[in-house]
Order: sequence, then structure tokens, then C-alpha cells
Amino acid sequence: MIYCLVIVKGLGWLLWLFGVRGACCWLWCCGTRSKSWAEQVDFGDEGFLPPPTEDFNEKKGLKTITEYKHNDDGKVVKVIRTFKVETVKLSKSIAKRKVWKKFGAASGDPPGPNPANTVLTEEIQMQFVLNKEASQIDDDDPLSKLPKDGRVKIVQCRICKGDHWTTKCPYKDTLQPLQQKLEEGAKPEIAPVSAPVGPKSTAGGKYIPPTLREGANKGRGESMTMQRKDETATIRVTNLSEDTRESDLQELFRPFGPISRIYLAKDKNTGQSKGFAFINFHRREDAARAIQGVSGYGYDHLILNVEWAKPSTQQ
Amino acid sequence: MKPIMLHGHERSITQIKYNREGDLIFSAAKDSQPNVWYSLNGERLGTFVGHNGAVWCIDCNWDTTKVLTGAADNTCKLWDCETGTQISSLKTNTAVRTNGFSYSGNLIMYTTDKTMGFPCEIYIFDIRDGSQLQTGNPMSKVPIESPMPKITSAIWGPNEEYILTGHDGGDLNQFDLKGNWIKGCKDHSGQINDIQVYKDFSMFITASTDHTARLFDMETFEPLKMFKTERPVNSASISPLHEHVVLGGGQEASLVTTTSTRIGKFDARFYHLVFEEEFGRVKGHFGPINSIAFHPDGLSYSSGGEDGYVRVHYFDQNYLDFTFEY
Repeated sequence: MIYCLVIVKGLGWLLWLFGVRGACCWLWCCGTRSKSWAEQVDFGDEGFLPPPTEDFNEKKGLKTITEYKHNDDGKVVKVIRTFKVETVKLSKSIAKRKVWKKFGAASGDPPGPNPANTVLTEEIQMQFVLNKEASQIDDDDPLSKLPKDGRVKIVQCRICKGDHWTTKCPYKDTLQPLQQKLEEGAKPEIAPVSAPVGPKSTAGGKYIPPTLREGANKGRGESMTMQRKDETATIRVTNLSEDTRESDLQELFRPFGPISRIYLAKDKNTGQSKGFAFINFHRREDAARAIQGVSGYGYDHLILNVEWAKPSTQQ
Repeated sequence: MKPIMLHGHERSITQIKYNREGDLIFSAAKDSQPNVWYSLNGERLGTFVGHNGAVWCIDCNWDTTKVLTGAADNTCKLWDCETGTQISSLKTNTAVRTNGFSYSGNLIMYTTDKTMGFPCEIYIFDIRDGSQLQTGNPMSKVPIESPMPKITSAIWGPNEEYILTGHDGGDLNQFDLKGNWIKGCKDHSGQINDIQVYKDFSMFITASTDHTARLFDMETFEPLKMFKTERPVNSASISPLHEHVVLGGGQEASLVTTTSTRIGKFDARFYHLVFEEEFGRVKGHFGPINSIAFHPDGLSYSSGGEDGYVRVHYFDQNYLDFTFEY
């Protein structure tokens, strides 16, 4: 047997201070005598609140309940709750249970969900973990996602602008020394290193990072050359324990010579070390001695591995 | 989906259960008042007032007329579901850890903790016999002898023939109604936190602190499947609709305050029943999930967490349409 019943489904509820609304800018405060006479005529003495109203939109099946109450600061708050009323066909036994009287701590609750106990949360999505192997392949090789017909140039030779890696350029031996000469010749001028190779026109709609755009070249050249210098005296320390701090590294490497920079890779969330660090010495000789001295050194129950840092990808 | 958050408890949830038709959710927590809710809109129907300690377990019978709760105040109480009044209260020596109605609703069982010099015991009552409830003399009583670790979870087997128990050390055992040990196995290496049956009682899933949930054949105890995670599993449930299981768990409760939500892995995790592979996660709780249950129609599920909230999730169409690629 099928019974019909009405179920009040919470859609969410809104809450705002009266004073926030533009049209009727009243800020009611209990205990103060600053009310206008109009309010007193409308609502009588303080502590009196307008009666709750109910509005039922039959077309949309929406029920709006408006209530007024005092909040903790003594201000009057208007609470508007909107419910969707649905009629659902259910089996007789469930329908009978729907009309049971509330008991225990819920005995005083009005029909419908009590907002103190039942809260509608924000929308969340189930996160699907797709086929692991497939997703890993995709992550490893973003090139495979791109169309393979060669219209999109991914690799561009720095020498001849051809569609191959710079090292495999057929004109490497002939063109590169020429370009280097050009570069050297350009150095004393204001135009920096990348000027001859840097893309000059924005035609073609290709994205050019701000640092490579025309007019943005001034500061960049210097800092780049600085970094180049630094990298020559940089060592990479791996197999560090999780608890390692920068101060520990400083203590460990300072005996070998002045250090210009220590970079310890850390997890963004936990702040723990990821197990490797880069150390820039002022002098390359110091770095070499540090490698000699510390490589294979037992530190915090792990054996350190120290080597020259590979230069970061050169542009 | 837009989960409904049920906030009726002041302390962490210990167990949640749907009734047979799925219109009500029963929730027990470490505070003294178990709650009952309408699952459709999250409206609270009532609370059962009378316990004096943490309520560890809750169950209701098949026609939703009676509710059984077991608590750390050394009582197991039988309630009338419609009015929330107490029908009877069974006094025990130690805290009641697990309980359950048999399928017919005529028999009840509960197990007690091994503390204060008292052994862990299984009690079985016939609630048709009023004298048993009045005097507190059970139909049968099964002491769990000392080499066997204490019971941490228990359910009725099919046809009310036996009781299935999960133990502290990871053992699973069957006891018949006379208290005779039938058989056992030990596949888990950690405490079994939860046992839930499939809708036709042909198999059951266990959730263990050894970071796995396992699927067993009900009759033979043959281990069928294993679902691996990186954290203790507190509860696991089998979908009655799809070949899916959902696992709830996460960081141990004692370590929760020192870890962020992301690292604690408090998500509900959905695995394919056959391929043992995880395919989905649902976030929401900010503590480990202590109890998780599928709605009997498989279109929604609920989880109760250490954070004291019960969250009712109605699945989106994209879950219902989801097919596992193989």
C-alpha cells in the first residue's frame, strides 16, 4: 500500500543583520534608548519581536519562514529559512513512522529539521581516482597529450629555430660560434645577453613571459649572470634526515669556507625537510673541499651524499 | 552532492546504523544519548534518555519497533522506538561493547568488555520471554577464555544459527547459540573494529586497525578480497546496489590534533568489490570516521566521525553512472 506524505527538505538558511540592508537601515540595540518613536509605535517595548511569518509558494514548492530574534550582542536578527516541500510516495510502514511524535531532546522541536541539529553543508564532489597507471603516464609525458601532426612546435632550436633540440642542430658548429661572438659584442651595451636570441615581436599570438618582453630586459641580464656564477660553486647534499634544519647545514659546512646561500627543500605543509639541500659557496675551491670532506659522512644516522649541483636548465 | 550534517552529539560517534527500510538512522556516541534521525531530510526524531556513559553500540530490529543500546555504564537497554521509552535495562559487570538483534528480532545478543577482573562474555536473550529480561538470566552466556582476546565487534550470522565475533588480536570466531565454538580464523593482524554483512548474508566485511578491510565468505570463512589503505580502518560497508565497498577510518584518534586534515586521510574511500581498487573519495569529516553505513537502497550513505558529526550523503548521478574500467 502506498501513502503520500509531505516532507520538508532543508535548502539552506540565510541570516543577516537588519542594519546591513540598505532600504531599512535600523540597528536595534537592546538596553539602549536610542530607538526612534516610529519603531516604538511599530514594535512596542524593547524585547518585543515581530511574530514569525510563514510564506508558502505552492508553484515552486518553497516554504519561507521568517523569524526575528536577539543574537548574542543584543541585536535583532532576521532569520530567513527556505524549505523545499516535496511529496514522496513511500511504503506504509515508513509513512507511519514519519508521523511519530518527537521524543527525548527533540520533543520540543517544531516539524521539519531543527537548524540547531541539522545543517546543510556546502556542495562537495566525490573525487574519482581514475585508473592509476593511465593517469601516471599522462603526468609523466605531457607531450603525448598534444597533437602529433607537427603543427605545434614544442622543441625549438636556439640556433636555427628549427624543430629539434639545440644540441642536435646541424648548424651547431657553424652558427653557434657566430652567435656567441654577437653576444660578446652586445655585452657592453645596455641590451643584455638574450637580445639577439630573444623573441622580439609578439606577432603570431604566442605567449611571451613578461621578463622576455621588449623593454623588460634591463634588470634581467645582470641577475642571470650572477646566478650563473653562483652555480659554479654550488653543491647538492642528499640523503638528509627529515629533521634537518638550515642551521644544522650551516654548522656543518661553514668550516669549509664562506657560504652565500643555503637552500633546504621542505614540504609545503609539514615543514619537514624533503631530504636534499643546495649550498652555494663563494669560492669553488671551498665547495670542492666540502664535497671531499662531507661526502659519505654519517649525519643523524644517515650517510650524506654530496656532489656538484647540476646547473639548472639553461635558457 | 550536498551532505546533511547531523549535529546531535557532543562527543565522537561510536556507531551508526540504518533501519531495515532505511528511513531512520540511529547514531550512538560517547555522550549518553543515542539519537534517531529521519534519513531523508536529517530531521531528528528523538533521543533515548537514560544511559549514564558512553554508548558503544546501537541496533534496531527488523520492523523498527525496538532499539537496543549498549553503554559503558554497564547496562544494555531495550527501548521502544516510537516513543523513546525504556522497556528494560540489563545490568552487566563491565561495559557493553557490541550488540545486535537477530534477523527475526526475537533474540538479542551483546558482548561485554574484559576489565576489572571480569571476563569478556557473550550474552544471548530471548526477548519474547519476559522473565529473562526481568531477572537478567540470559538464554545462554559464553565466556571468552583468556587466550582468546576480547571481542571488539560482533554480528548475528544468517538464520540466527550463530554469532560472528571479531577480536582484539584480529581473530574471527563463530559461536552457536549454546555457546559452543564452531570455527575461527586469524587473517587480520590488528583489532577488528567493525563487521558488516552483505544484504543476503552470503559474505561480510571486516575493518581492522591493521590498515586493511577484508571480505570473507560467511559459511566457510574463506578470505575473498582485501582492501588496503595506509591508515587504520574503523568501519567498512558493502553497497547493496553496486559492487562497491566504502571504507572509513584515518589517523588514530590520539594523533588527530597534531595532523592536518589532508594528511590525516579522513576521507571515505570507495573501492571496487572485485578488483580491490580504490576509485573514489569523499571528504568532509575533520576527524577519523568511526562508523560508516550504506543506505539499504544503495543510493546514499552515512558516516559518523570522531568529530561528533554524522554526515548523510545522497549520491550524485555521476557516482551512480560510474563504471569501473577494466
